Amino acid sequence: MVKYLIRRFLGWLLMIVVATNLTYFLAWGYLDPRSNYVGRRPPLSEQQIVQQLLPRNLSDTVPLVERWWNWFTAIVTRWDWGVSPVGQVVNEQVAFRMWVSAELVLGATILTTVLGIALGVYTASRQYRLADRVGQATSIVTMNINIVVAALGIVLLAIALNNAVGKRIFYVTGSGSRGVEGFFPKLIDILQHLTLPTIALVLIGYSGIHFLQRSLLLDNIKADYVRTARAKGLTKQQAIRKHALRTSLIPVATQVAFTIPTVFTGAVLTETIFAWNGMGRYFIETISNNDIHGTVAIAAFGAFLTAIGALLSDIAVVVLDPRVRVS
Amino acid sequence: MSPVLSVKDLKVSFPSEAGRGDAVRGVTFDLEAGKTLGIVGESGSGKSVTSLAIMGLLDENARITGSIIYDGMELLGKSDKQLSAIRGNGMSMIFQDPLTSLTPVFTIGDQLVEALTVHRKMDKQESWNRSIELLEAVGIPNPERRMKAFPHEFSGGMRQRVVIAIAMANNPKLIIADEPTTALDVTIQAQVLDVAQKAQDETGAAMIMITHDMGVVARTADDVLVMYAGKPVEMAPAHELFHKTRMPYSIGLLGAIPRVDKKEKQPLIPIQGNPPLLIGLPDECPFADRCPIAIPECRASEPALLPVDTGTGGNHLAACIRKHEISDGGRIGNGTVYPIPEQLESELTLTPREERPVVLEVRNLTKTFPLLKGAFLKRKVGEVRAVKGVSFDVREGETMAIVGESGSGKTTTLLQIMDFEKQADGDIIIAGTSVNDIKSGKQERLLRRDIQIVFQDPMGALDPRMTVADIIAEPLQAIGTNRGDANRRVDELMDLVGLDPAHSDRFPQAFSGGQRQRIGIARALSTSPKLIALDEPVSALDVSIQAGVINLLDELKAKLGVSYLFVAHDLSVVRHIADRVAVMYKGDFVEHGDVDDVFDNPQHPYTKSLLSAIPVPDPDIERGRERIIFDPDNI
Repeated sequence: MVKYLIRRFLGWLLMIVVATNLTYFLAWGYLDPRSNYVGRRPPLSEQQIVQQLLPRNLSDTVPLVERWWNWFTAIVTRWDWGVSPVGQVVNEQVAFRMWVSAELVLGATILTTVLGIALGVYTASRQYRLADRVGQATSIVTMNINIVVAALGIVLLAIALNNAVGKRIFYVTGSGSRGVEGFFPKLIDILQHLTLPTIALVLIGYSGIHFLQRSLLLDNIKADYVRTARAKGLTKQQAIRKHALRTSLIPVATQVAFTIPTVFTGAVLTETIFAWNGMGRYFIETISNNDIHGTVAIAAFGAFLTAIGALLSDIAVVVLDPRVRVS
Repeated sequence: MSPVLSVKDLKVSFPSEAGRGDAVRGVTFDLEAGKTLGIVGESGSGKSVTSLAIMGLLDENARITGSIIYDGMELLGKSDKQLSAIRGNGMSMIFQDPLTSLTPVFTIGDQLVEALTVHRKMDKQESWNRSIELLEAVGIPNPERRMKAFPHEFSGGMRQRVVIAIAMANNPKLIIADEPTTALDVTIQAQVLDVAQKAQDETGAAMIMITHDMGVVARTADDVLVMYAGKPVEMAPAHELFHKTRMPYSIGLLGAIPRVDKKEKQPLIPIQGNPPLLIGLPDECPFADRCPIAIPECRASEPALLPVDTGTGGNHLAACIRKHEISDGGRIGNGTVYPIPEQLESELTLTPREERPVVLEVRNLTKTFPLLKGAFLKRKVGEVRAVKGVSFDVREGETMAIVGESGSGKTTTLLQIMDFEKQADGDIIIAGTSVNDIKSGKQERLLRRDIQIVFQDPMGALDPRMTVADIIAEPLQAIGTNRGDANRRVDELMDLVGLDPAHSDRFPQAFSGGQRQRIGIARALSTSPKLIALDEPVSALDVSIQAGVINLLDELKAKLGVSYLFVAHDLSVVRHIADRVAVMYKGDFVEHGDVDDVFDNPQHPYTKSLLSAIPVPDPDIERGRERIIFDPDNI
């Protein structure tokens, strides 16, 4: 198993290297750092622009292959992913924003998955009864709420609550307050900031897993082995939870594992509304600022997360399904 | 002694689009400890629904009325939770399909331990040891090691043993077996029935054996309940039921089964028509439409299940207003209940076999499948020899049968012939043309006229979007017959196979299983082939329907002089229909010859064990039989 995972990981590593280098060339095809200086008052001279860009390895006066070589060797030898046109260090940005995103996204993903699966099981074992109908109707509604609407709605509700209580329970912007010291005060501060965006992300995300889990479980509830389990003396609910759920979890686990990279860099709107400086916002900023090094670093980060997702889904399938033997 | 199970006037209905379907319409019986009740009936007769109602495993939309008293407790009205304390503990169940009845993601050991610990407090070691004992009891070798195996590592027969072990885990008072051997090969079936018997002996449980196989009933049951259209139509001790049958449907069922132990070839006695739909049944005998001795009074009201005196003093009940007129052997008045169909004698059978022309000759037919290894560049690391050089010939007007269990290579042999597969060290000669000589597609199409095939599954073999006329005419168009001639031929063929030519513009789903198989046969006959390959043509059909198709095949052979190459696993059918038989085992013919020689005087130990494993529908013979176990290591 370990050997298999190492082999898979090496394969993914190669893929990441290829994808990242490809993105580097594509980024140079579409983004032009020079255009950042167009329209400046007073206008910068050609020489001034080159002077700014050349030390940052962003000047098109240097042949592309040479730029690429400089960029590539810096990463391989010093793990230096370069700087933006204004001199921001990409390493620092990613290192900081990565944890901001992780804080936001990991909790939300876990909650989304747990809630989705739980609702899927609950409604599937009550198919066509009132609980199922209500659950499905609710999910259809939440699935169709835009994140902007959901997030702003939650913000308004939270402000109303804060005003009603007369105390600030939930913060509607930022990922943390300055100057908080000590473990528990810090934890409470984080929760005060994290709750609202997490609710927003879970609200719009859980329904997909709910529907997937419900339909997969319904396929399995009628299976002969669930009947055997009931004939053994398990109640219907026990038989469903123990015997039908295990087999129907396999595709859900695969799907969740593969959504990790998209939620990491895809929570752009949530981050913007709640003013979190995460990877999603960085993604948009780098592109609009013609920040080639930043864009490529995000692509590499996404590829890395995809690899992690794929490996996690491999592990999940092997753990859940004994019929799959890796060799 | 009070009965373990007492069912009174059990009725089950389900909602359906056409109205409420009454799947079970009043079943009453008592079952005592240690006794076995056989419930027989065809598909849709309500036998499985009855068993699931007793276990409380029916869907929640089922409406169940009547009374089920188990061990002094009324089960109807109990909640799922209350019932779960009884299920698996006091009463347990063995299901039909062992391949799907175990959870694929849990080990055998876990599933056995669960069956124990769900009902009693047991520590880990204790339940583990008890599970090993159970596996040992059902005859699974190396039980300690097998406890950690997953279901997919077991064969079908082995899995069914595990299901039986689960069923007997808590020493139940009642075991319900729902078609426990239908999905298994005959030799495995015999072993599994022995294990089930052993489980019953060890636990002293009462058993309900649900099956459509009269042979299985004859072997296992003390009392037999025959169900038709959701209602018991006859109930009697096994011996009574088989020898003093009083209800025309039961008589028909027994008459429709070919017997493996009978030499004389009388045509089988099919029951005409199909079972009624169970929605809004009128108050009349539901069998009246198919009954050859129906009289107007039969339609006055539905006859009740009432005692009938057969002179033996046994407790015999039958639901037929003419039951007192019927005597032993299915006779009524001076005749029989069912008219015996005429047997057609073909002129060909008068000619000795050696003088008849050879239609198909197979010499040293071999098929190997390569074993490949590697993810991308597949390299051959060995081969599986599916067919190991078989040779036989089929003469005009003759039926050659290949019998064997699953995986023996019989279907592969058939497909090799149908594919005109060129043989390196052998030959397939169809009506004088060697497949090794086929050079062009035109030659191949010409040869196709002489050999046609009928498939096992009549539901899957016909294109649902083509009318019956199109299906039957398709081979004719392929060989270039013009539309007018083709249409005439379609009508002629439909008439020949016993279908109304006026129905030729209908789609296959408008026909029942037996009728669809007749359509398949008509299609195969359309090019007037010399040989028809039949791949398990009746194994998917109910017995009463099966008899009609078998008779049709016999009749066509006599009328048209066509030859059959018949592949089957059911030796009773083979005995009835075939002239010559080859027994296939692991890709080779272990025995090959005249059907009566092979069946009456088998030489090879495998043939002997195969023949001894088939249950005979006669309790007196069946219970005295000795099974011969074939051990491949001892040849």
